[in-house]
Amino acid sequence: MPSNDTIQDLNLDEYKYDFVTESEPVFRAQKGLSEEVVRQISAHKDEPAWMLEFRLNALKVYESKPMPKWGGDLDDLENVLDEIYFYVRPQDQMESSWDDVPDKIKDTFEKLGIPEAEREVLAGVGAQYESEMVYHSLREEWSKQGVIFDSIEDGLKNHPELFREHFGTIIPTGDNKFSAMNGAVWSGGSFVYIPKGVSLDTPLQAYFRVNQERMGQFERTLIIVDEGAQAHYIEGCTAPVYSTESFHSGVIEIIVKDNARFRYTTIQNWSNNMYNLVTQRAVVGAGGNMEWLDGNLGSKLTMKYPSCYLMGEGAHGEILSIAYSGDGQHQDTGGKVVHAAPHTTSSIVSKSISKGTGRSTYRGLLKVHKGAHHARSNVECDALLIDDTSRTDTYPYIEIEENDANVGHEASVSKIGEEQLFYLKSRGIAEDEAMAMIVRGFIEPIAKELPLEYAVELNRLIELEMEGSVG
Amino acid sequence: MSDGTMTQQGEGVTEALNASAVDRIGMSEPEWLSARRMHAWDVYEQTPMPTTRLEEWRYTDLKKKLDLDALRLPEIEPADNDPETWPSLLRATLDEDHEASGHIVLIDGHVVHSDLNADLASQGVILMSLHEAVAQHADHVQKHLATNAVPAEDGKFAALNAALWADGIFLYVPRGVSLDLPVRVTRWISESGAALFSRVLIVAEAQSQVSYVDEVVSDDFVAQTFTSTAVEVIAEQASQVQYVAVQRLGRGAFYHSVQRTLAQRDAKLDTLNVALGASVTRVDLNAKLLGPGASSDMLGLYFGDGQQHFDFNTSQDHIEPHTGSDLLYKGALDGNSRAVFRGIIRVHKDAQRSDAYQTNRNLLLSNGARADSLPNLEIEADDVKCSHGATVGELDSEAKFYLMSRGLDLVQAERLVVQGFLGEVLAKLPLGGVVEKVGRVIEEKLAQHG
Repeated sequence: MPSNDTIQDLNLDEYKYDFVTESEPVFRAQKGLSEEVVRQISAHKDEPAWMLEFRLNALKVYESKPMPKWGGDLDDLENVLDEIYFYVRPQDQMESSWDDVPDKIKDTFEKLGIPEAEREVLAGVGAQYESEMVYHSLREEWSKQGVIFDSIEDGLKNHPELFREHFGTIIPTGDNKFSAMNGAVWSGGSFVYIPKGVSLDTPLQAYFRVNQERMGQFERTLIIVDEGAQAHYIEGCTAPVYSTESFHSGVIEIIVKDNARFRYTTIQNWSNNMYNLVTQRAVVGAGGNMEWLDGNLGSKLTMKYPSCYLMGEGAHGEILSIAYSGDGQHQDTGGKVVHAAPHTTSSIVSKSISKGTGRSTYRGLLKVHKGAHHARSNVECDALLIDDTSRTDTYPYIEIEENDANVGHEASVSKIGEEQLFYLKSRGIAEDEAMAMIVRGFIEPIAKELPLEYAVELNRLIELEMEGSVG
Repeated sequence: MSDGTMTQQGEGVTEALNASAVDRIGMSEPEWLSARRMHAWDVYEQTPMPTTRLEEWRYTDLKKKLDLDALRLPEIEPADNDPETWPSLLRATLDEDHEASGHIVLIDGHVVHSDLNADLASQGVILMSLHEAVAQHADHVQKHLATNAVPAEDGKFAALNAALWADGIFLYVPRGVSLDLPVRVTRWISESGAALFSRVLIVAEAQSQVSYVDEVVSDDFVAQTFTSTAVEVIAEQASQVQYVAVQRLGRGAFYHSVQRTLAQRDAKLDTLNVALGASVTRVDLNAKLLGPGASSDMLGLYFGDGQQHFDFNTSQDHIEPHTGSDLLYKGALDGNSRAVFRGIIRVHKDAQRSDAYQTNRNLLLSNGARADSLPNLEIEADDVKCSHGATVGELDSEAKFYLMSRGLDLVQAERLVVQGFLGEVLAKLPLGGVVEKVGRVIEEKLAQHG
């Protein structure tokens, strides 16, 4: 446990990531998305011809697809995208030694506490600043065992065959408009390979930081967990608060082979002017186990539905999702599980808190294909509404083609119970403290799964948000 | 995801369904009504045919399920008022319905018989053909018909119905009057290939009480037969209304029902939709809770086999505070049948202290059966209790095991479990006659499953 001092230090009185680093990028593409920008990105990365082709094709697909009409309000997005820089190169090369990272960028990540965290508990750390990974390192003991933890660009350079075999196979370019956009302009992200039977006992962690105004970040991550291997990957995202909108659209592809276990944790705490439209998908082989832990606290609008495709017998998928929507925020999140093999099991637990004019939406799909007999699944969504201006929605899709399956979905919406509040107050606890306690209890099943520093942060955030929410 | 921008004018205008048919039907009617029909027809022409791109039609592809071009308006002359000439299945159905406050019988869309307890008539209760009510009770009909409850603007098929309805039922219960026995409506359809449009208008004044049971039966059809009903139920302050629809059509029928219930302050307005027959069943049901204390129980029961397709599209609109709604739709699916349940609870901003529940449960009895369930919530008030649940599963093996350990064979045990599963719905609205009749049809279906 961290000492009280550490907790105090977190000092969450305001959005603590709202600081700007004055640093000049070495290259910045022109505003907006065009074939020229795509070619520039590819040239800067010195890519093989097939990748340039892949990008140009993705651009065509992107242009041919209409803007989604469902989910959050994307009406202004087209104007926002015209003003956005799709590619900003912060430095010339990626460093593997922290000392070599330019001071200003280093400062930024020092403020986020990254090298510190690495020293303490992590197996490997990656850091992305604007469009590029600026730093990537992996503990020697793991690289000796064949673990790969690279920037996605280095993955393509150093492991071309492994890369090409899997890249774009889990989330094809045409999956949706934003996966196509990412296919055209992707830059940064991680390439991870865990060899057969290797089990990482500490997590890999990647940090994503957007520093510039009107910036678009398009990370692309490809993770292959080979048979019987085990790992945990954590991603954290922050940006300063600008008056104009920024944009983040990642594509995360994960392959969990037979009997492997993998957990992917995201805590996004983007500033409240960020559009965050992410496609995350994992395919899971026989006996494999995939867990998504998805925390959405920041952004203006997030649309993100981590999914598990259970392709092998006995595969298990789990999605734990927590969303906090404050004033002006819309978290449109949830999860998808597709059962495509017998004896597969899954569970989705989603908790959301809406406060002020915040809106939390759960949107999920649960599909059992014909032949996936003995599939079992359970979905639970709970929503907490704090104010009478808050809103919550639940849109689950349940499609069952197999009679020998059992699935259930349950959702509830409530406000903080007056009886609970009354009881706590009768024990001498102040009202806002009592509210914070109840909210913490509400999210506890998910919060306890979070890495410690994030759990602490989440709790502090809730305490803070509950202050002054009374009356 | 819908593109929404492509509006094709005049989709669904056919040789039989067109503006001149609307003119013909409206010819001898008062001007307000023929104008209302023409307006509805305009809306119909301007509304695009729903496609699976629309969320509400995602799982029912009308391109495959409905051939509007092949349909014609009914040609058979209205049948006799003489029960001796009626089909035996219709007579058998009626024979079970002796306990009633009044009856209406429709054959191929026309009212051929109506009766009402004389006491009730003297208290001002009205039960008659909607066609006649237009002439005799214009004040009520003009006020409520296709205005507040199911206007033409309610969708492509609501518009088509409002333009082309031929007949229907008007039921009016004056303030404070209670009907101890239900009103029973029985419909028979014989004309294969026809498109039948009818309406139900129920107005229950303050503090009145009434139950209404509407059953439709037929043999199987050679050609697709389309039956469209628009149901408007208006429950004034503190009234109690039960609306029950039982659909036992033959194969080849496309059954579409658009229903809206309006519950005013302290009114209790419950509905039950039983769907057992037809090839395609589509029910659009919207319950509006318009006054504090209003509540609606919404029940549904379906049993599919063969290639049957069911699509229930429900919504619960909590507009005022202290309103309650509780939905329970349960179905068993055998053969290659398929059921879709899409329900939404909307708690509007002012509807504080409302309770809203929604449950859909499906039992898949065969390998080819399929169920899709979409229970949605949209909550804009914070001081509410809302929950929903949906399950799809196989027969409870423990229950089966228990029954078999008591000496029942597998088939008997399965039947009992299914009956128990579906029985929960009927037990919540136990109207005389309905429970037995529906129970028997379920047994027949189960006998085929065994």
